[in-house]
Amino acid sequence: MILRMRNALICFIFALLIFSGCSKDDDSVFDKTPDERVNEALSKAGAALKGSAYGWNAKVVTGTGSTFQFHFRFNEGNRVSMYADIDTTTAGTARESSYRLKALQQPALIFDTYSYLHILSDPDAAVNGGEYGEGLKGDFEYSIDTVAADSILLTGRFNNTKVTLHKATQADAGAWQNGEWRNALAFQYMSRILEYFKRLPVNGTTYEIHFNQSSRSITFLWTDGAGAIHSFTSTYYYNSKGLVLVTPLNNGNASISTISSKGWDAVNGVMRVSVNDVVPATVSGAAKPVKPDLDGPGRWWQTMYQQDSYWISFQGFHVNGVDDAYHVRNIPGFAFMLFWPAFGTQAGVTYDLQGYVNQGQGGLSLDFGSAWMPPLFTADGRIIFRIYGTLGDVPASATTAFNNTNTLMAEANGFYLVQTGNSRYDMVSAKDARSWITWER
Amino acid sequence: MNTLKISILFCLLILLGSCSKDDPGNVDNIPGLGGDTWEPGPIDNWIRDNLTTPYNITAKYKWDQGELEFNRTLVPPKEEKIIPVLSAIKTVWIDNYVAVAGDLFMKRYSPKFFVLVGSASYNPDGTITLGTAEGGRRILLYVLNDFRIKGMSDYVPRDSLNVKEMFHTIEHEFGHILHQTVLYTPDFKRISVGMYTSNWNNVTDAEARADGFVTAYAMAAPDEDFVEMISMMLTEGKGGFDVIVNSITGTSPNGTAAAVAQSRLRQKETIVVNYFKDTWNIDFYNLQARTRASIVQLIK
Repeated sequence: MILRMRNALICFIFALLIFSGCSKDDDSVFDKTPDERVNEALSKAGAALKGSAYGWNAKVVTGTGSTFQFHFRFNEGNRVSMYADIDTTTAGTARESSYRLKALQQPALIFDTYSYLHILSDPDAAVNGGEYGEGLKGDFEYSIDTVAADSILLTGRFNNTKVTLHKATQADAGAWQNGEWRNALAFQYMSRILEYFKRLPVNGTTYEIHFNQSSRSITFLWTDGAGAIHSFTSTYYYNSKGLVLVTPLNNGNASISTISSKGWDAVNGVMRVSVNDVVPATVSGAAKPVKPDLDGPGRWWQTMYQQDSYWISFQGFHVNGVDDAYHVRNIPGFAFMLFWPAFGTQAGVTYDLQGYVNQGQGGLSLDFGSAWMPPLFTADGRIIFRIYGTLGDVPASATTAFNNTNTLMAEANGFYLVQTGNSRYDMVSAKDARSWITWER
Repeated sequence: MNTLKISILFCLLILLGSCSKDDPGNVDNIPGLGGDTWEPGPIDNWIRDNLTTPYNITAKYKWDQGELEFNRTLVPPKEEKIIPVLSAIKTVWIDNYVAVAGDLFMKRYSPKFFVLVGSASYNPDGTITLGTAEGGRRILLYVLNDFRIKGMSDYVPRDSLNVKEMFHTIEHEFGHILHQTVLYTPDFKRISVGMYTSNWNNVTDAEARADGFVTAYAMAAPDEDFVEMISMMLTEGKGGFDVIVNSITGTSPNGTAAAVAQSRLRQKETIVVNYFKDTWNIDFYNLQARTRASIVQLIK
């Protein structure tokens, strides 16, 4: 009996195996193989990209929330030429680079050599004003999600940003080629104002404005009737007329949503603008912040003092509109300048060191610098440096840069410290705000 | 029982026989099989004519995430930087080795594959990586977009650091290939015995030198020590290496006297020079003078 049961069981299992093992129906739900379908998708996308006579418009929003406008024209031979509203160069001059279509997990569009688009992804913060190591969190390798007649939907494969390419018209392409976009970006001429602090009076309120041209943000600072300070920061984007705030500023009784450029007034050294397209105004320089950051100097000094570390400047001082006015970068072997709070003690004085780091035969070395007495922190938010002595031997080739920098540092009015990032400060001369130096870590 | 065995056999036969599947279909056009393709441009032609045809070396300059770290923000190089970089590599590294060791030597032992990246690779600890290599075959070079040599409009002396660091990486990795092909004398490992440490990244170059190592990374292992010696001597030149040795003063935190540290570096130098002579029949000082002169041409 038991044997019969077992036989029956074995027969049953075999029958099961035979029937299940032999289903021959392996028809795909698709009528073509995966390879054929991938190739088809790639060639369809390629034909669509190249097929638009006036190229494609794209609004790129980076992972950090900044908005940029691009114009792409895809050509034969894996070449793409583009414009972008990053600065007047990228808006005025087309740059050609390469692209290719590739079957990754999804059909993908890769901009595979450096172009304007890569500026947003560059991990070097000096390129785009983002953070070191991640830039503005842009993308240049995209999955192709859908291809429609007049739009293509892309998703970034690294930072997951969404981009929609819209077919451009002849007028769209012309706006780039004829320099309309470049003119809209004339806001960067604001840097012609020699003072660090820039003010915009509108309807009785004076705003101090700080632009971050590369990360697309603008900060307004103003004081109300009671003297309290207010701060408002918004990202902005450009259209072909000027600048549009993503979140309009509202100070209680007036608002600002757009600022268009009306040109640079060389006679008065001011920038003419039009606020909300109706109110004419000017942006001009100012020697003082509307309200200094009273703790700024102390915070700046303490940050490095507590870590027994130093601030770095790669550029030296910007003076009267000239970057690195004292040419510290031309000192042979110059790597960077540092400021080291409480570097050492001599004759009972614990001095700060502002040193010049050189790269010599065997790596970086701190060869010479100026020692400064403990700085004075004033009640109105300035720091004042007083020279204490010279450390090491200043080579003849560096003497001019060294002496000029010392003279400026020792300026009796001292400096304001403006924090511009997590670990970045601008040190601005309190005398006339026409010279400053950027300290970073 | 017999019937059972027969029935099992029978069933197996049916099972196996019934499951012949038909052919896998059309597989002759798999996208991307054999590598990416694109229409070759001037850069591709330059690489083919100057590196691939003579030395079987290639350089990937177009973006390919698969060659790179997946957790780092990186960008591809600018097209206008690629030929200057590769031709600098050819003058400084390939041409000089060919001049002292011959064509065949270079064809046989050179690493074959360069991957070029536009930006630096930013590490979580705040440092940046300028170059890496693996297996003596593939070399990754970063920061091409900041590659500037004398004569380019925006060159500042600081840029020479990038240039030297690039050749440091290449000579370092090539050194690995050489000693992995023929090992150096075991005497080398006895010079700094007991001082190799995995903690090298917390040591500055100056501290390492006070202990008789040419760089901090040389403290990682005898093999690294050996190739760092090669690389530093070649990129800094004889004069530069003498400056490094003579700049050692005082006693190191580990108790190495300056004279001892200097003598260790000199012993290592001797072994490297003899190794090149005996193993590869290369006059190291000749190679060193040529290499340094080519680098100086680029930066001074």
